[in-house]
Amino acid sequence: MSAGRRDERRPAQLNLVDVMVTIGAVTARGLLGRRRTILIGLFAAAPVLLGLLIRLGGTRPGALSPSLEGLIVSSVLPLVALVFGTAALGSELDDGTAVHILTKPIPRWAIVVPKLAVAGSLTALLVFPATILTGLLIGGTGARQIGLTFAFAIAVLIGSFVYGAIFVALSAATSRGLVIGLAYSLLWEGLLSGALKGTQLFSVREYVKGMASTLAPQGSVTSVVGSFGFLLALIAIVVVSLIAAMRLSRYEIRAAE
Amino acid sequence: MAALPAEGADGAGGDVGARVADGAADAVRRAPAGPSMPIAQLAVVDPSQPIVLDRVSRWYGNVVAVNDISFSLGAGITGLLGPNGAGKSTLLHLLAGLLRPSAGRVLIGGRPAWREPSIYREIGLVPEREAVHAFLTGRAFVELAARLQGLADPVAAAARTIATVDMAGAADRAVGTYSKGMRQRIKIAAALVHEPPILLLDEPFNGMDPRQRLHMMDLLRSMATRGRTILFSSHILEEVERLADGILVIYAGRLAAAGDFREIRRLMTDRPHTFRVRSSDDRRLASAFMAEPAVFGSELRDERLTVRVSEFSGFTRIVARVARDAGVRLFEVAPTDDSLESVFEYLVTRRAGGRR
Repeated sequence: MSAGRRDERRPAQLNLVDVMVTIGAVTARGLLGRRRTILIGLFAAAPVLLGLLIRLGGTRPGALSPSLEGLIVSSVLPLVALVFGTAALGSELDDGTAVHILTKPIPRWAIVVPKLAVAGSLTALLVFPATILTGLLIGGTGARQIGLTFAFAIAVLIGSFVYGAIFVALSAATSRGLVIGLAYSLLWEGLLSGALKGTQLFSVREYVKGMASTLAPQGSVTSVVGSFGFLLALIAIVVVSLIAAMRLSRYEIRAAE
Repeated sequence: MAALPAEGADGAGGDVGARVADGAADAVRRAPAGPSMPIAQLAVVDPSQPIVLDRVSRWYGNVVAVNDISFSLGAGITGLLGPNGAGKSTLLHLLAGLLRPSAGRVLIGGRPAWREPSIYREIGLVPEREAVHAFLTGRAFVELAARLQGLADPVAAAARTIATVDMAGAADRAVGTYSKGMRQRIKIAAALVHEPPILLLDEPFNGMDPRQRLHMMDLLRSMATRGRTILFSSHILEEVERLADGILVIYAGRLAAAGDFREIRRLMTDRPHTFRVRSSDDRRLASAFMAEPAVFGSELRDERLTVRVSEFSGFTRIVARVARDAGVRLFEVAPTDDSLESVFEYLVTRRAGGRR
């Protein structure tokens, strides 16, 4: 073994930032190369098309806030995040490619963090412009309407990372991340948190509304949590990421021997 | 009780990689029927070896995948032989820290493998599943492994390892376009890129053509001579025979035999056998066999003659002579239970106290 060779393979001090960038890049390439991504892009475009149709029809509904809540916050946002969040980690665990990442001398949280970041970023990349376009088409270009649209867009941007974290954690914890994630978004976020007052502290939809209400012109969005939405969203991201890292560090291969 | 095929049972077994402590062998031998049997002795393994399994079991619910296995491995190539579903992959996953042992200890370089990512500096794992990020080129895939290992020059390290597995020509194609054998080789390159002292390979020769197989065997051999500890699983006897210094036979989650290959080969061929014989006069042949000490019994039923013998080679030596002396022409002599499965089963029950 030559001296040069030793040097080239020297177990360098592991640079975790480099490692996370590397994992993030591979994750992003994997997600963008899937056919599902195109479908989910079309799905995110649906509210925009709806806004366009409303525009072309000539009517302009007065209530922008409920439209954005219904079209974006409680449907497009969680479902886009579900697809990216479960695919970022879950599909790699399912098809076995994750083994090549897991069997490396890196702490498991350094695998989880780039997965969360990529899932959240890709979700935001689709949902943020969709929110702005939908808002402008439905609400028009009045100062108040633009303020409301951007308030929702920023809230949705942060919400993308909360949902992304939740779905990455779900797929680290269970092999049925997609199904459980779907049930969670429909039952918990969709039905319960709307009906039961006490559950709103644990509803991402409520956090997004809270953040939007803080940023929007006075009185245009009603929210229970209000500006606490920011804090709660941050706490949710941190807690859920920790859970994801813990679950991944105890990850057992789902062997079919 | 028959001699154990463990270390030292054969005079030429000095360089054997697999080493089963006498205590471990005893434990296996004394636990015939099920996990409920008391195990009289604690297994003793050499904890200074790079790979140590100390009375390791792994179960899924009620299903026992790995059952109280102890061994330690040092430098050299060890073959993990067993039929599909015997627990080979489970064992390798336990060693690679991808499964938590339900009982016992798995040590890699003296450290517990479970929840200890630092062992991956010392381990290269080649999983059985083909899955590789299909959109990456072979080179990008190996460089990814090099980066995640924190190598100083991942590009150069990857190029060198790719050349080692003879994949330089195809390295810039997407992995998705590779054949099975090519995927296998690029996975091996990725596992080797940090030159780990321990290499674990799950069915590494699956899908390789004969030339690739020979090349890979040469490569593994040369790595073993440089002091690496290599453990590979296979369900193919010939692969293990050609490559391995030592052998671990696993069947139904138990360590059925361990040690030198020739010893195990002898055990496999010298076990009781049953043959089906067709001849010009089965009845006369049957009574002629009865006079032979190597034959336990012969039975003629539905015009089919089956002969039970004490050992394979003894019978094959006498069968022609017996037929000639009796004036009977032989049409066919075929062993009836020569599946690898029955061989493994025999080894397990034999170690369980000769219940057959």
